[in-house]
Amino acid sequence: MALLLTVNGEDRTSGHGAMTPLVDVLRDEFHLKGAKPVCREGFCGACTVLLDDHPVMACLLPAGLAVGARIRTVESLAPDGALSPLQQVMEEHDVVQCGMCFPGMLMSLSGFLAVTPRPTRDEVKAALSGNVCRCTGYERIIDAVLSL
Amino acid sequence: MAEVTLNFPRRDARDKLRGRTRYTIDRDVSGVLHAALLRAPVPSARILRIDTAAARAMPGVRAVVTAEHAPGRHGIGIADHPLFAAGRVRYHGEPMAAVAADTLAQAQAAAAAIVVELEPLPAVITMAEALGPSASLVHPDWRDYEVLVEGGAHGGNVAWEATVLRGDPEAAFARADVTVVESLFRVGRQNHLSFEPRAAIAAFEDGRCHIETSTQAPWTVRNVTAHLLDVLPSAVRVTVPAVGGGFGLKFDCALEPYAALLARHAEAPVRLVNSRQEEMLTCLSRENAEIRIRSAVTKDGEIAGREAVVLMDCGAYGGEQIFLTTMTAHTLGGNYKLGSVRLASRAVYTNTAPNGAFRACNGTYNTFALERHTDEICEAIGMDPLEFRRRNVLGDGNLGATGQIFEGDVLGPMLDRMAGLRAARPSKQAQAGDRLYGRATTVGTWFVFVGPSAATVNLNADGSATLVTSGVEIGSGSMMQGLPQIVAHTLGLKPQDVVVRAADTDAGGYDVGVGGGRTTVSLGAASMAAASEVRRKLLDVASGMLQTPPEGLTLANGRVEIAGRPGTGASIAEVAVQAQKLVGPIAGSGSFTGPGVAAMPGCAAGHFIDALDIPVFAVHECEVAVDPDTGHVEVLSYAVVQDVGRALNPRAIYGQIQGGVTQGLGYALHEEISIGADGSIRQSGFETYRVPLAQDVVPVEISLFEGAPSIGPLGTKGAGEVPILNVAAAIACAVANATGRRVQELPLTPPRVLELLLGRGLPLDFPHIATAWDDNLLRPLAAASWQGRRMAGPDAPGP
Repeated sequence: MALLLTVNGEDRTSGHGAMTPLVDVLRDEFHLKGAKPVCREGFCGACTVLLDDHPVMACLLPAGLAVGARIRTVESLAPDGALSPLQQVMEEHDVVQCGMCFPGMLMSLSGFLAVTPRPTRDEVKAALSGNVCRCTGYERIIDAVLSL
Repeated sequence: MAEVTLNFPRRDARDKLRGRTRYTIDRDVSGVLHAALLRAPVPSARILRIDTAAARAMPGVRAVVTAEHAPGRHGIGIADHPLFAAGRVRYHGEPMAAVAADTLAQAQAAAAAIVVELEPLPAVITMAEALGPSASLVHPDWRDYEVLVEGGAHGGNVAWEATVLRGDPEAAFARADVTVVESLFRVGRQNHLSFEPRAAIAAFEDGRCHIETSTQAPWTVRNVTAHLLDVLPSAVRVTVPAVGGGFGLKFDCALEPYAALLARHAEAPVRLVNSRQEEMLTCLSRENAEIRIRSAVTKDGEIAGREAVVLMDCGAYGGEQIFLTTMTAHTLGGNYKLGSVRLASRAVYTNTAPNGAFRACNGTYNTFALERHTDEICEAIGMDPLEFRRRNVLGDGNLGATGQIFEGDVLGPMLDRMAGLRAARPSKQAQAGDRLYGRATTVGTWFVFVGPSAATVNLNADGSATLVTSGVEIGSGSMMQGLPQIVAHTLGLKPQDVVVRAADTDAGGYDVGVGGGRTTVSLGAASMAAASEVRRKLLDVASGMLQTPPEGLTLANGRVEIAGRPGTGASIAEVAVQAQKLVGPIAGSGSFTGPGVAAMPGCAAGHFIDALDIPVFAVHECEVAVDPDTGHVEVLSYAVVQDVGRALNPRAIYGQIQGGVTQGLGYALHEEISIGADGSIRQSGFETYRVPLAQDVVPVEISLFEGAPSIGPLGTKGAGEVPILNVAAAIACAVANATGRRVQELPLTPPRVLELLLGRGLPLDFPHIATAWDDNLLRPLAAASWQGRRMAGPDAPGP
C-alpha cells in the first residue's frame, strides 16, 4: 500500500512499507539526501527533520507514522537558493567544516528558534544537545545563532 | 605581489548548509550492486573451511570473494596485512569474505549463509599478554613477510621498534647531583567517529577500475588497491567527492579493494559502506599505549638524562603504528632541552582490531605523559611548573632528541603570551564552589608532515585559473580557502576566480594525502610553484603586448599593469587570450617535497622521519573543577596559544582550534573504548561511546602566534592537526593539581577520578616493560650507542 507523505509542502507517494525508516524514504526514494543516516540509533541527530514543526530523528521514525504530518527537510530552508537567516549566519561566521551534521543541526535549530526567537546561550546549547558535531566544537555555531 | 585575501569564505559552505553536497554515501550510480562483508566472530582461529556455495546460490547474489581471490599482502614498513583472513583469523571483525548482490539485504543474507569452520587458537588481547613469556604469536610467519622499509627491528609480537640514543644517559642517571623521577602512564583507544563512515563505490570502465571513495589519501588507495588486485597502479583511478570527516581514519586504504574486487567479479559497479557498528568494531582508532619514562634532573631543573619505553598497540596488523613509532622521538622527546636521551618506541601486535592514524597521532598521549611527568619532576625537586617550563623549553639552537637543531625561540615567547592572557582575565576559581579547583599550563611539540605533492595551474581565457591537485577537502577548508588564496596571490587574481579541481588521480599528480597538517604547506607550495610558472609565462606575453620588460610589470586585481602607471595595462583575461593566439594556452606545473632537515647521524634507528622539517608548537592552559562526590570533571576555562607560522584564515583556524580542543576534551574525559575477553570492542555506537556534546564544551580563548620560522608557502604552517595535541595533557595536569593525586591514565571518567580521590586504584605496573632500558630492545644498541656518545662529545654540533 502506498504511503502519502507531505514533504516540503509537496504531496509525495512512497512505495515503501510503513515500517521503513523515514530517512530512507527521503533519501532513497525522494532523493532528498540532506538528512544523513550517521548512527541510525537516534543518538547523533544528523537525520533530524521537522514533523509538524517538531524536530524528530528520521532514522527512528517509521514512514507510516509521518502520514498526515508536514515533513520539512533541510532542502526546504532555501527554496529559491536564498539562504534562510540561520543558514546565512552559519556561512558568514565560517563555521561549516565537514558539513555532515549541519542538515540535522539546522532543522533542530529552525524548530527551536521558531518557538524561542531570542534564546540565551544556555538555551541554544540545550537545543543542540541532540545534535553531535565531531568537527567544530559547537561554540562558534552557537555564536552564529546568537548573532541572529 | 598582490596582498593575500584573508578570511576568504569557503565555497562549499552554501551547498553543505542546503543539504545539497553529495558525499560518497550520497552518490547514486545506475545499476550499482550493494556489498556486505562477513567478519570473524572470534579474535584468533585457524580457518578450516570457508564454503560459499550456498551463498552464491542465493537470490540477487552477483559475486562472492574470499582470500583466494586476493592473496597479496600490504602494509606500512612490513607487508603483513592480507585483504581477507587467510588461513588464520587475527582479530574479531576481520573480513573473511565479501558479497555483492542486487540489494543490501540480499548481500547481508548471503554473507550470513557462508559456512565457516574455525578452530579457536589462543589469543593475545593486551600488550602485556603479547609481550609475556609464553605469548602466542599473532603472526607466526613474521619472518617470511616482505620488508618494505629497512631499518626497524622486528620479531615475534613486536611489529616494529624505533630507538633514539643521544649522549650518555647511563652516565647522566649515575650522576650524584641528580634526582631520578620515574612515571608510568596508560591510555586507551580513541575512535574518530567521523560522521561519514568509510565508503567506496568501484566500477570497471574501459579495462580500468574507477573508485569513488571517502578517503584522505587517494594515491594510497590507488596503489594499495592495484597491489591487492594484482594490476598496475595506473589501472586504478581514484576520485574523491566531499569527505564527511576524516581526522586520520581515512589516511589509509580501507574498503576500496573489497569494492573493486567485487566489481571485477560481478562485472558491475559495487557500493560498500560500513555500518556504524562496523565503524566502531573495526575503526583504525588512535592506539592504546603504555609508557614508562624516567628523568635525571638537577636541583636547578636541568634535565641531564631522559629515557623512556613507549608501547603502542597496533592491533592485528602493523599499519600506521609502524610509521608512528617514529613520532615518539619528536613528541615524548620534544618540548624540552635534554642533556642526553634514549627512547624505545615499539609497535606491538595483539589479536584486536588494527589501529591507525588519528589527528596528532602518538602526540596526544606522549604529550600527556611528558607533561604529567614534568609536573611530577617539579614536585620532586620543588620547582614551580611554569618556572621549570620557562627554563627548559626548546629554543633557538637547541638540540632535539634526535640531534636536530631547532631554529628560533618559539615556545618561550608563547609561554609569555599565555602569561599575558592569564593576567588579562579573571580566574574562574569562584565557579568551582565547593569542588576541588585545579589549573595547568602545558606545552607541546608537533610537526607538519611534509612530503611529495604536485600541482598544475591552467590559466583560462576568461581570466580564471584552474588548480588541479590530488588534494581532498575533508572539512578543514584548506582546499576551499588556503589553496585558492595562494594561487590568487601569486597571479594577482581574486581567490574566487581560482577553480579547485576535486581529487582525481587521473588528473592530479602524486600526493601523500590530506593529513598531518600538510595541505596548505605541501599542496600549497606545489600550487605556488605551478602558479609561479604561469606568472612567468603571463608576464612574458604581457611584456610584448605592453612593450615593457616583465620586471616592470605588476599583477593585481585581475590586471597586468606597468609599474607606477595604473590603468595603462591589460586585464589578465586579455593577456590569456593573446597568449592562446601567440604561444598556446598558459599552464604551469609545480611540485614540492620536504627538504629533509638533518638529525645527528647515528641517533635515530628505525625511524621514518629522523628530524622535523617544520616543527609546530602549542601552549594550552585550563582550569577545572572536580566534584569530590561524583568524580565529575568540569572544564571552567580553556586557552590556547598556537604557533601557526602565518594565519591566512584566522577565523577558520579558530574553528579548527575550537574543534580540535573539543575532540581532545572527549579523549581526556569520556571517550573510552574497552575490549572484551573475546577481543571485540565493546562500544558499538554513539550510545556507549560518549563524544562531547554542546553542553560539555566551553569557548576556547585563542591567540595565534605568528612569525616562527617555516618553509611553508607565505610562511604558513598546518593549523588543523595540532589543536588536539596537548588537551589531554592540560586536563590531566589540572586534575592532578586539583586533587593532589597522581594522574596516570586516561580518560578521566568519573569512576576513574573517584578511584583516584578515594585511593582505591591499584598503582600501574608494567611487568612487560623491563626496568633496565636496554633489556627492552630486540636489537642491542652497542654500535649505535658508541656513535651516539661520540657525536654528543666535544665535536657535537649545536650548544
